[in-house]
Amino acid sequence: MNPPPDFRGEVRRRGSSTGTDLPDAMVEELAQHLEDLYEAALAAGAPPGAAAQQARRALDGSSVTPLVPHAARIAPPQSLAAMTALRAALRQFRHHPAFALIVVIVLGLSVGAAATVFSIVDTVVLRPLPYRAPDRLVTIWDTNAEKGLSHDPISPVTFMDQRGLPVFSDAAAWWRPGVNLTDPGLDPLRVQTIETSGNLFDVLGVGPQLGAGFPSGGPLFVQKELITVISDRLWRTRYGADPSIIGRQLLFNGTPYTVVGVMPPKFHYPDDIDVWQRLQWDMTQHSRAAHFMEAVARLADGATIQQAQAAIESLGSRLQVDESRTNAGWNSRVIALLEDALGYYRPALMVLFGAVGLLLVIGIFNVASLLLTRALSRDREMAVRMAMGASPRQIVTQLFLESLALSVAGAMAGIVASLAVLPLVVALTPVEVPRLADAAVSWRAVAAAGGVVAATTLLFGLIPALLLLRTQLGTQLRSGERGSSRSARRIYSALVAGEVALACALLVASALLIRTVGGMMSTPIGVAADDTLVTTVQLTQLRGGGADVASLLKRWQQVADQHAQILDRLRNQPGVASAGAANFLPLDAGWRNPFTIDGEAMPARREDLPQAQMHTISEGYLETMGARLVHGRAFSSFDTTDATGVVIVNEAFASRFLGGRLDGRALRVWATSIGPLGVNLKANPADVHSGVVFEIVGVVGDIANVGLGQPVEPAIYFPARQFPFSEQFIVVKASDAGTGLAAIRAALRDVAPNVPMANVDSWGRRFERRSAVARMLMSVLLAFGGLAGLLAAIGVYGLFSWSVALRRRELAIRLTLGASPGGVGGLVVRQGALLVTIGLIAGWVIVRLAASALTRVLFGVTASDLTATFVASAVLLLATLAACLPAAARAMRVDPVEGLRAE
Amino acid sequence: MEILDRSALDSAKKGSADLFILALLDEGDLHGYDLSRHIDTRSRGSITFTLASLYATLYRLEERGLIRGRWVERAGQRRRRYYRITESGRRMLASHREDWARFIRALVEVAGVKPAWSRT
Repeated sequence: MNPPPDFRGEVRRRGSSTGTDLPDAMVEELAQHLEDLYEAALAAGAPPGAAAQQARRALDGSSVTPLVPHAARIAPPQSLAAMTALRAALRQFRHHPAFALIVVIVLGLSVGAAATVFSIVDTVVLRPLPYRAPDRLVTIWDTNAEKGLSHDPISPVTFMDQRGLPVFSDAAAWWRPGVNLTDPGLDPLRVQTIETSGNLFDVLGVGPQLGAGFPSGGPLFVQKELITVISDRLWRTRYGADPSIIGRQLLFNGTPYTVVGVMPPKFHYPDDIDVWQRLQWDMTQHSRAAHFMEAVARLADGATIQQAQAAIESLGSRLQVDESRTNAGWNSRVIALLEDALGYYRPALMVLFGAVGLLLVIGIFNVASLLLTRALSRDREMAVRMAMGASPRQIVTQLFLESLALSVAGAMAGIVASLAVLPLVVALTPVEVPRLADAAVSWRAVAAAGGVVAATTLLFGLIPALLLLRTQLGTQLRSGERGSSRSARRIYSALVAGEVALACALLVASALLIRTVGGMMSTPIGVAADDTLVTTVQLTQLRGGGADVASLLKRWQQVADQHAQILDRLRNQPGVASAGAANFLPLDAGWRNPFTIDGEAMPARREDLPQAQMHTISEGYLETMGARLVHGRAFSSFDTTDATGVVIVNEAFASRFLGGRLDGRALRVWATSIGPLGVNLKANPADVHSGVVFEIVGVVGDIANVGLGQPVEPAIYFPARQFPFSEQFIVVKASDAGTGLAAIRAALRDVAPNVPMANVDSWGRRFERRSAVARMLMSVLLAFGGLAGLLAAIGVYGLFSWSVALRRRELAIRLTLGASPGGVGGLVVRQGALLVTIGLIAGWVIVRLAASALTRVLFGVTASDLTATFVASAVLLLATLAACLPAAARAMRVDPVEGLRAE
Repeated sequence: MEILDRSALDSAKKGSADLFILALLDEGDLHGYDLSRHIDTRSRGSITFTLASLYATLYRLEERGLIRGRWVERAGQRRRRYYRITESGRRMLASHREDWARFIRALVEVAGVKPAWSRT
């Protein structure tokens, strides 16, 4: 049996030929009727062709026009009515694919960018930390306004005072020793370690997954028993997740520690730690002047972070007086743990979030104006449909569904793009953003995208539809006059001005970041060592001898010798031009300790002694780093413990304390031992009070020793052979990176086979990482800003093309009445300039409102920076004015005769 | 005058169409095709609806609440839209019938028109 002909298609085509989309339910019913006729004819013995003819005659014999008024009112299944309208909407897009594509692309880009950034912000900033009541946790940092320090490590002694404040229920502190882990049969490994007070895990409210952890109770801060907790990562990668790890002894720097716990997966507090050793020395017996510890505290019940801040400040002020020798100028502050963990990332992500929000709004405005013009250009079509009996509700429904289809498609494209892009962003981000690795497109992002869809649908669908209805009800088909054009133009202009304003804000923000990053990158740091390789070497504590001073000094002499041997071996490797070592790299602050210029009167009070940063460097270090020696000599291999004590100072030191007289000067220091880190071998342990005298043999050009863009502090450099540290940075200048790497490996293997090879990187790369976040933020904002500017320009172009097309007749009349073509073109450009200027001013207001957020990601430039504002505005002004030129040109070409002829 | 006459006839026809449909639906639920078939056979072919006018009438009656259409799916059959007369439809039918009866009486008595069934 032949299948019946496609009566549905025929009925639908019949509807379309009269300009009506018959609803599905109606099509269905009519087609059923035709099928019945067809079957009846077949049953009566007609051949299929004739039967179809007979059925068709019923359709041909009547116009569907009487049905049109009922089209929307019959009661089809609800879904069918919606489907019909939706199908009609989709048919529209098939006829205008470019339009639909542009809308979906613009929406997809904006929604995709927004969903991606929102997912990242959600994971990194908004999600609470995985600790017990994480919002009650704060970190404590030292501040020193005089030195411009706002985030410095704290002193162990002062910490013990702070811990006693009633605003805290408890507090834990730690420092970061360099630790090598050695196991028989395994390669030595450098492990990220903190030595922490035993209450750290209690303060955080996190327990080990295996083992008992540090025993609670008993004295928290002085325990001689050597115990450690390790991370899940270390336990799995190095010990194959062996449960018998508990109770086993691990050798850290050659000293056995008993494992008492394995932390849960992903726990690496405070940042990327694999080993937590329990503190084994008395924090109250250290120095208030030594700032090398970090701390986390839990707020007491009922205490606020502001109260904690007030309490810690008043303690600080009291110590400034009571302990003025060490604490003068110093105070402390508390920061919410999450805010502290995120540091610069938090404001950076929030700025990015704001930027992507602006971009999203621009995208929506752009699409809204596109839909507005398109809807208005269809007013004839709508008039015909209304004349055919379509109800206003039907027309609004269709326009609404059209925009709904577009926004759903756009949002889906955006979400799909975000799903594809987010893993790439996570993988390719050049910096270690805390928690970024956990970022996944979140349901909240999807919900937000849904909200955007809802909002845009209302905006896109309803405004043009309502405008149209007003026109239709008012003017019907009477003339081609477009009563809606005036209010439409007003709405359109507002949308475009809004786009310009938001684009302006984005461009100014990216210009500010360009200035920030430019400033950062061009700050002189006093070294020229982009290709110099950098790594760290932590010497395992050398054993032998007793605890007496003589054996201690002997052991430290061995540390100094071993470091010197590694460097010597390194310099002898093929392809190595020079090598050196230092305990701090450029941009890192050294230990700040008191000193005096020898021969100058001692101040009455010790606390009035000046302070300077103290660094230790080896011979060859300044040369390898390309530092500039401005006076005297550098260190040599003869500056040993047996020779005269010597130092080099930086220019900041020389100009502040030496007043131009350089030769034959000496200074006195009291820094004899930096905890377990380093020891001044020139010091006389029997007489720590008179200090040690060092001769100043050279002045080096300032090497940055605080953050980028901050003034260099006075610094004193000691020779590594006289003031050794167990952990040093090794720097190597070699013919190429591979050669340098091989040389470091060979030297370590020969001299210290038990010392693991740490990461090797070039100084240039390390320096870039310092500014990587700001640079990344700059690139993203620049991309957003460029996109925003482009969208704004497209908006301006669309607006003026449309309005010139609408006003052809008016322009023609103007020309007939004697206006020059130039004048008419100028009119368009003037209107464009006015609109853009309004947008720019609004954009400056937005930047002004966002200034406090912006300031937190800017260095050396303020949010009201005139250059950035001017340049960004000028770029946008030029781009948008260029965008209205085609319309102006078209206006100039209008034929005056048109004014007499048109309609 | 002619125009007036024709429109009077049109509205009479429209009224009669409503009457036919309501009367048939009063006997039971029917879908559009069955309706048209019944009208055709009962009037012995003297009254036919075009496709559009049949459904336009149905939709109009439905909009006025005199009948109600419903999609019905029966096993082994196509899904069809069946119409059922409503209470107000029945009242309307009754009043239509009365009007037409009066009208026909007038035709018979005044114009000498003979009802078709009187021939048999």
